[in-house]
Amino acid sequence: MTKRFLKRFINYQLMGFICFLLIWQVLHLLLNTHTIPSPLDTFVYFVRVPLVLLKHSGASILRVVAAVGISLILGVPAGLLLGVNSTIKRLFSPLLYFIYPIPKVAFLPVFMLLFGLGNPSKILMILFIIVFQIMLSVRDGVAQISPIYFQVMDSFCGSAWQRYRYLIVPAILPSLFSGLRISIGISLASLFFAENYATQFGIGYFILSAWTKMDYVEMFSGILALGFIGILLFNLLDRAESVCVPWLKRSTGK
Amino acid sequence: MACSETKQSHIKLDHVSFSFGDAMIIRDISLELLRGETYALIGKSGIGKSTLLNLIAGFLKPDKGLILIGGIPVTGPRKQTSFQFQELGLFPWQTVFEAVSLPLKILGEKKDIQAQVMSILTELHLESHKDKYPHQLSGGERQRVALARTLISDPDLLLMDEPSSALDAMTKEELQSSILRQSQERGTTLMIVTHDIEEAVLLGQSILILNENETLTRLENPCFGIQNPRDVLAFYDEVIKIRQLLRFES
Repeated sequence: MTKRFLKRFINYQLMGFICFLLIWQVLHLLLNTHTIPSPLDTFVYFVRVPLVLLKHSGASILRVVAAVGISLILGVPAGLLLGVNSTIKRLFSPLLYFIYPIPKVAFLPVFMLLFGLGNPSKILMILFIIVFQIMLSVRDGVAQISPIYFQVMDSFCGSAWQRYRYLIVPAILPSLFSGLRISIGISLASLFFAENYATQFGIGYFILSAWTKMDYVEMFSGILALGFIGILLFNLLDRAESVCVPWLKRSTGK
Repeated sequence: MACSETKQSHIKLDHVSFSFGDAMIIRDISLELLRGETYALIGKSGIGKSTLLNLIAGFLKPDKGLILIGGIPVTGPRKQTSFQFQELGLFPWQTVFEAVSLPLKILGEKKDIQAQVMSILTELHLESHKDKYPHQLSGGERQRVALARTLISDPDLLLMDEPSSALDAMTKEELQSSILRQSQERGTTLMIVTHDIEEAVLLGQSILILNENETLTRLENPCFGIQNPRDVLAFYDEVIKIRQLLRFES
């Protein structure tokens, strides 16, 4: 299993990464500016300070995982309620559509005021950004369930709990994983804002600090680390999906 | 099939009417079906065959009249009625084993689920497919899984909405034999909606024709129970007779 995973990783992910490095090198040569350092210089810096990057990456991963975890706890039941109950859907969907496109980063001062400058405000800021994505994914997942499946459950005289357990929850899993993928991407991008105040740990802080120092090699090594965090989290999500949604894996031949 | 015992009344429709908006679909139908017998309901597309089946299943409520099963008025779906939908409704996330065991889990059975499911899967030649998902099965196999799922809870009434549509001729014959054998062995009352006159003559002890004037004609089927009916001329005579009735109707 590990061997197969490594083989797949080498075959696809490494090839993709090499292509990315090639484009980066070409841009570095074409633009010839210190704002875009060479990939080689960046990698040399990257391997020179592995512990520093690991410390910053670890802090960011913990914040993202905490925010995603809490957004699942809050967003999944709320999304289910929106999807199942048409009155709640009619009442709250307009509010959701109103809040969803607003750049939540604009509320950063409010979060700082309410939850202080520490980790709670940072985690809650990310949570506020992604929870609506989770809610909408779950709500749409419920809406996509074929009415015939509900009729099948009715014909078995299933209870409301059984309806959730055997029909609704398994049916929304593919939509939930799609929503999670988008949420993780947005969370990582949000680190840039969430970690720009009152902290000395986090990859967002590391990138911004290097930017203000105009140390572009350091900044790009931070961006590289952020990319690796993305690879790690998305691979973990893919693995969780193949365990929780095995029928999809087999039907799409992934 | 000589039968000396008097069969009990199982389902009774008493002046049942049903309409969708302004369109009257079922008009003042009265009907009595006997326990353990098989009934084939035929008629033109959109005439209300599935609506009648849905009324008996309790998915729809009649505008007028009463439906009684075992003397009890139908107010909604009942546990002893199994319904096989035309679209089957097999959940993509359930393996064959999980799909067939679902009705037992819903009924709260805890013991012998494995044995009961494997027994019916073996009867329907599905045991080697127990870990497969619906998309990994052929059309005929999916139909048999749906049949196993409807039979596992040992219902007293089995309602089937065009179970063999979209199947090739040989698979259809296999499925028809399975339906007939299973329902007769279990003593289940079977009501099957079909477009196929041959299927109606093959499976129905009585053939119910839903007419364009929303009324119902009932014919007793003399060919029911004949060994290899497709090899007997009388079978085709009956098919022609019903076809002519349907033509005359149109």
